[in-house]
Amino acid sequence: MGQVLVLGLIAGGIYALFAIGIVLVHRGTGVLNFAQGEIGTAALLVAYVVVHDLGAPWLVGALVAVVAAVLLGAGFEFAVVRRMISSDPVSTAVATVGLTLTLVSIEIIYVGDSGKVLDNPFDSGFTVAGVVVFPHQVLAVLVALALGFGLQRLLRRTDFGLGILAAAQDPDAVRLVGVPLSRVSLAVWGLGGALSGTAALLAEPTVGLITPGFASEFFVFGLAAAVIGGLGSLPGAVAGALALGVLEAAEQAYLPLDVPGERYLLLLAVVLVALLGRALGPELRSRFLGPARPAAAEVTA
Amino acid sequence: MTTTTLPLRVPRRVSLPVPGIVVWLALVAVLPPVLSRAGLLSDVNALRLCAATAFAVAGLSLNLLMGYAGQISLGQYAFVGVGAFTTGLVTGVNDLRLPWLVGLLAAAAMGGLVAFVVGLPALRLRGLYLAVVTIGVAYAGYQSLFRVESIGGGSAGKPVPRPYVGDSAIATNADFLALALVVLVVVWQLDVNLCRSRFGRAFQAVKADEGVASSFGIDVARTKLLAFTLSGAMAGAAGAILGTAYGTVTGTVFRYEQSLLLVVVVVIGGLGSRAGVVGAAFFAILLPSVMIALFGEGIRGYDLVLNGALLMYTISRNPHGLAGAVREARDKRLERKGGLPPLPPTRPSLPALRPLSGAPPVRKPRAGVPVLEARDVSVRFGGLQAVDQASLRVDRGTIVGLMGPNGAGKTTLFNAVTGALAPDSGQVLFLGEDISALPPHVRAARGMGRTFQLIGLAKQQSVYENLLTAQHLGAAYGVGSALLGVGPSRWFERELRERADQVLEGLGFQRFRDTPVGRLSHGQQRIVEIGCCLVTSPELVMLDEPSAGMSPAAAEDLAQTLLDVRDRLGRTVLLIEHNVPLVLNTADELYVMDTGRVIADGEPVEVVTRPEVVRAYLGEVVA
Repeated sequence: MGQVLVLGLIAGGIYALFAIGIVLVHRGTGVLNFAQGEIGTAALLVAYVVVHDLGAPWLVGALVAVVAAVLLGAGFEFAVVRRMISSDPVSTAVATVGLTLTLVSIEIIYVGDSGKVLDNPFDSGFTVAGVVVFPHQVLAVLVALALGFGLQRLLRRTDFGLGILAAAQDPDAVRLVGVPLSRVSLAVWGLGGALSGTAALLAEPTVGLITPGFASEFFVFGLAAAVIGGLGSLPGAVAGALALGVLEAAEQAYLPLDVPGERYLLLLAVVLVALLGRALGPELRSRFLGPARPAAAEVTA
Repeated sequence: MTTTTLPLRVPRRVSLPVPGIVVWLALVAVLPPVLSRAGLLSDVNALRLCAATAFAVAGLSLNLLMGYAGQISLGQYAFVGVGAFTTGLVTGVNDLRLPWLVGLLAAAAMGGLVAFVVGLPALRLRGLYLAVVTIGVAYAGYQSLFRVESIGGGSAGKPVPRPYVGDSAIATNADFLALALVVLVVVWQLDVNLCRSRFGRAFQAVKADEGVASSFGIDVARTKLLAFTLSGAMAGAAGAILGTAYGTVTGTVFRYEQSLLLVVVVVIGGLGSRAGVVGAAFFAILLPSVMIALFGEGIRGYDLVLNGALLMYTISRNPHGLAGAVREARDKRLERKGGLPPLPPTRPSLPALRPLSGAPPVRKPRAGVPVLEARDVSVRFGGLQAVDQASLRVDRGTIVGLMGPNGAGKTTLFNAVTGALAPDSGQVLFLGEDISALPPHVRAARGMGRTFQLIGLAKQQSVYENLLTAQHLGAAYGVGSALLGVGPSRWFERELRERADQVLEGLGFQRFRDTPVGRLSHGQQRIVEIGCCLVTSPELVMLDEPSAGMSPAAAEDLAQTLLDVRDRLGRTVLLIEHNVPLVLNTADELYVMDTGRVIADGEPVEVVTRPEVVRAYLGEVVA
């Protein structure tokens, strides 16, 4: 039981970092960013170059990688999103598909089939409930919790945060009241990039191998967690991610199917159930609790 | 009925050119074998073309979903995988050993079934949830299910034998290419038939605006699910081609990136243009070999980089894809050439149409029972009480006006009545029946027609296409008939086209028949929208600010039209209006709303002079 919880929280921490990035960009710009994973893999490869080809320590490589991830996110905003202000967020989401494909294919060319190993300083762990826990795993959970609640406060309590939230709902009105829309958008995409890079850096030591599409495999769990959390709430996304991690560990421990990649089957099942609940929720609620209006929060993209 | 009717013609769409499907079938069946025997098509190139053909079919499947229904799948290639492995299971020597054609149909059926199941929850919701689910499908496929020994054949892969003609298998790739191309042509034709039917129009209506679609009686969730199911079936057929071409398939063929590449193909191909999508699919698959032949081995993999960049470039410059760009350029050229055709007569005289033969039977209103009754309807948006205990009654054969200052809650009450939103409390009765629990498309089917404040027409489609879409309820034929383009779909479509032409004539809009609605003036669009509302001859016609954007003269003509709708067509009208003369000239009864409440009702001329009404519009009189 304790073991399941520890393993689940370790996995969930990483999912949470991706989920936070997805929710942040979605709330800030209305766009579902499908490249939220691959920006991280690209950043990891930057870290690999810095550490292995230039001989810098891991921390320097990690910092450079996060900067690279910010530049990727912001650069995408500058080159693509900015030109799409008048089109609907769905089109922008499709553009992020193009970014994903571009990044994955560059990774395939650079990495090849074998994968790259990035040396990291997190080699000694400690044992909790029979599980060896490494510092980067604790760090991931702590960063996820801090960002989940910290960013939520930032969005709700500061002018800049409120500007971000308002910008997604009504860009024209926000521009009229004097919020620099392009700066808000740039900041959100840059921050989204930073989150992707950080998440990938903290996930990598656990896996130990960078392959093309590396971070997307975590991203899909983050996306599921964000959907469970309602796509609108950062704490919800973090809670969803931790729950998903624990559920996955529990499934492994108590109901192993012995099928290759069964965690992805679980993922699909969880997403389907979450959406079914969302689709039938208003109906069930009105049947048992009297009439209610359809949920106001909808994914626009 | 003085002007001559234009000859009936199916709306212009990209379709197989004139020679027709038979010629195409013969051409693709003969050409590859002949070319290969003449030494012009190598075995390797024939295999590449087979793969490209499969990709083209998969592209068409995603095009149906994205280009027509406006939904996104990021796991479309997983459905291709489902098709490939199903074909192997059905035709394999160690499996069922059934004929290849059975395998092809089973692949399509399985692709459709999986799509139906995974699309069921996501498509009841608005938004990009289908994309989320299909990413899950992509990963569950190639990371898990396709690696299961009994499905994917393990590391050796799943053998998919070539089909037999007589006693001998189709051995050469060129011969199989002929069969693959035949499947492509057939799928293309089925796709064309479907998109010309009520289903294709419903897909496009849902893509344009779900609220408007449901006002035409289109069940939005079912329509999206149908689009995804058929799309999954087409992808399954693509899998049958791909698997058979390769002879053996492994799960790694169906990687997530391939699904993303399909998105590229559909967007670059033009989101809705079949020829563009098929061309882009061949380009995407043949590009790597061409690049390697030109620049050497070192260029391997860069084609995907190029494709990803191309997608970002295309969509950021043209969100409607290349077909949208072409359409815009054509419209611009038309405009330069001579601009819009001259204005039609401003006083349309709408034809009295029989009830649609395919429409569900509508209850005949009983004497004394009001057509519409809203009882104590309340709607709250967060902290705002948009509608507060509003009640109104609309009697048969009358025109009832609904006035009130901006933000009084008129449109919200409208939406509560049509079911576009669910009120927090209150009841809506239509023809004496409580319809409060019914979804909007069912209310439309009962005989509730409406227009929208912001004009609910598909702006890129022609007037004629909009009139056909509006008659969704009247076309009671099934998917099978629509796909094959025979039987009931033909009969019903003929009736729909006749009615659309009658309405066009009544509106005096024959010259605008093929004009995209977006190019008409605002006032003209209003007239078309009213035509779309009346083409199904609904019992109750609900108009939301029909005179907005019209000149005073056009508004006067509109008044005549409304009286005509009441007196000659015998319809009942509920009318939101700001134009006081229009309301006074037409309405038999007038309701006035302010801050969510009905503050006055009665004889229009008398109501507008009441002090509370004057106060609502002009504020307190300072003595």
